[in-house]
Amino acid sequence: MSGEGLLINIGEGTCGIAAGAPEVTEILRKRFPDAKFTSVGCVGMCHQEVMVDITNPDGKTYQWGNVTKKNLPKIVRFHRGEADLPKQLLIKSTDEPDTDKSQYLLQQTRIVLRNVGQINPTSMAQFQERGGYTGIEKVLKGGMSPEDVIQEVKVANIRGRGGAGFPAAIKWGFARGAPGKVKYLVCNGDEGDPGAFMDRSLLEGDPHAVVEGMLIAAYAIGASKGYAYIRAEYPLAVEYFGKALDDARKSGYLGENILGSDFTFDIKIKEGAGAFVCGEETALLASIEGERGMPRIRPPFPAIKGVFGSPTIINNVETLANIPWIINNGGQAYADLGTEKSNGTKVFALAGTIKRGGLVEVPMGVTIRHVLEDIGGGSPTGRPLKAVQLGGPSGGCIPENMFDTLVDYDAINATGAIMGSGGMVVMDSKSCMVDLARYFLEFTQLESCGKCTFCRIGTLRMKELLTKICDGEGTMEDIEILEELAPNIKQASLCGLGQTAPNPVQTTLEYFRDEYIAHVKDHRCPGGVCKGLITHTIIQKDCTGCSICERYCPVDAIEGELKKPDTWVIDQQACINCGMCVEVCNPDAILAA
Amino acid sequence: MSNASLEATVDPKDVQGWISNLGTEPSAAVPLLQAVQQEFGYLPRKAMDLIVENTEINASQLFGVATFYAQFRLDPVGRNLIKVCHGTACHVQGADRLNTSLRHVLGMKDEEEDTASNGSYTVEDVACIGCCSLAPVMLIGEQAFPNLKGADAQRHLVKHAKTVGEILPGKDAEKEANP
Repeated sequence: MSGEGLLINIGEGTCGIAAGAPEVTEILRKRFPDAKFTSVGCVGMCHQEVMVDITNPDGKTYQWGNVTKKNLPKIVRFHRGEADLPKQLLIKSTDEPDTDKSQYLLQQTRIVLRNVGQINPTSMAQFQERGGYTGIEKVLKGGMSPEDVIQEVKVANIRGRGGAGFPAAIKWGFARGAPGKVKYLVCNGDEGDPGAFMDRSLLEGDPHAVVEGMLIAAYAIGASKGYAYIRAEYPLAVEYFGKALDDARKSGYLGENILGSDFTFDIKIKEGAGAFVCGEETALLASIEGERGMPRIRPPFPAIKGVFGSPTIINNVETLANIPWIINNGGQAYADLGTEKSNGTKVFALAGTIKRGGLVEVPMGVTIRHVLEDIGGGSPTGRPLKAVQLGGPSGGCIPENMFDTLVDYDAINATGAIMGSGGMVVMDSKSCMVDLARYFLEFTQLESCGKCTFCRIGTLRMKELLTKICDGEGTMEDIEILEELAPNIKQASLCGLGQTAPNPVQTTLEYFRDEYIAHVKDHRCPGGVCKGLITHTIIQKDCTGCSICERYCPVDAIEGELKKPDTWVIDQQACINCGMCVEVCNPDAILAA
Repeated sequence: MSNASLEATVDPKDVQGWISNLGTEPSAAVPLLQAVQQEFGYLPRKAMDLIVENTEINASQLFGVATFYAQFRLDPVGRNLIKVCHGTACHVQGADRLNTSLRHVLGMKDEEEDTASNGSYTVEDVACIGCCSLAPVMLIGEQAFPNLKGADAQRHLVKHAKTVGEILPGKDAEKEANP
């Protein structure tokens, strides 16, 4: 069988590629040279990468997960009719749509991610087959005035998905009313939160939806020029978004007199250069202007005086990708989802110690527990989940006993964390909350632009204190200083970076104070993470004397005689507690405690 | 740490080419530096000087920008670049061990050192590359390696070195010399 009549879709987003999609594609192309192949974006089931959808000539579709070079022959033989269905690789099929594995997607409500993983992101035709660009057509050909558009977005009550949660319609109204010959619309794709990848998936998986959202937003505020500021760490997003711009231009969706109207708008890509602070809107503007990304004092707000001194609206990628749906389906349909003050859906990037990680889009108002347990499948390690970190370095940790908190801007703020852009990093009992706080402060300290003293020096002092505690040299007074510094840094910083930097420390101190005390008073790291507080020893009764630990030890701290378990010891003076030996030891004969 | 043998030779014509494509106004500073770094892997002093001489961008702005953004580096990089992701998901799942194990095989003992003494590899920490569900992740060149343990990182590096014909100055090289 040459594969004639087979339709094969392969997820080739950054994560699919990393998991080995190109290799799988190459083999499939050899086995089925006449099949029709489509490279699609990441559907968001990262835990199932590499994913392949194959539709047989009889119209039945099979979705396969965790496909590797090794298990691929089973799938190939099945589609050739030579073998039975390899059940363990099946996510779902036309005959069996409702499986354990398919729950991940079945429990989601996909508005923003409507096309991601369904279309080839470099094909404008496929985007249009699924209703793409009908939103802007409705606006321009259906006689909607800019005020009508703003009104529709107001009814939808969509709040900024970048994290701050400011209502988009109000912001647009400011820029609409601001005097200025030239106005700018900026798409903020500087997704700097470590642990977040929603914007990457959108830009890579459905770039035209972002272009269309930008068009509608630009029309509403009266902007003629647009920038898409995209992180340099996302090369594929830059490439696909650039292709989308070229195609949109060729089809008359970008440029002068779009669709025969008097609306003129074009978009340029600005690649970021690796600065977290540039997610802050005034810093982002400085970066577009070619300066160091340092925030400015507001007011004047960018809506009045933004890039090159002109009125500018900065919207997050996810916010913009919602807009075409809102125009097509009406603001009310969007507002019907969610809670009273948080409407619509939110996309989360689920990662960390979780069984099913990936992209999750849920209506506002569900519980965090629903996201983690029903969709994410809970802990993969057998150890109970301890906490979830929301909102990256600006956010906070929510402990397990508060997992019933609703996905709602105000409910999450009340816990001390923030909704943020949507990064959710899950941790089980083998993680250390003090180390996590130290990690985030190290990050914010490095990324602080240095303009405000409290942010520049305050985060450094916090980092030093946390490092001291992680090393087992902290005192109770250090904890008090941390508590005193936190509000000071928040009050005396100009932008969101400094105003939120103490959040990870404050929330861990509030919910996991016992872990801080264990580090300080008992010189013990309950999670077994902090290198200064653990030792590695060989349990000789479990050791086989295989010597693999010796080979991987970077400091030659392990010695013993081959095949003589009772001779193996770790030199505690030389050991740096890196944990390499634990990783490579087959019989689990090394204890880290 | 700079490694003289890795210094790039800058052709002024290239720099002129980028300037005519990207513009001479101050807002071209970041794209110009990105073009230079794309070509050389770092920002050679000569290329920086040429930009200052031939655009409206002054030295203070250009060096300010070059030292502000994490993407830019002023020192030459090794022939191969390894990027270790240190996003939150990678951190909580042991990204540090990737550095320990890579640095070990590369014989990099000094903490400040990020390039192997023979110029073969540079190990760079990067902020999140957005593959959080596959954490921990590293990139060798453009290729990403998912779900790594420290030992896996080492194995991939050893394999890569064999393919591209690089010698690893760390432990394994010693072992090859005295099997």
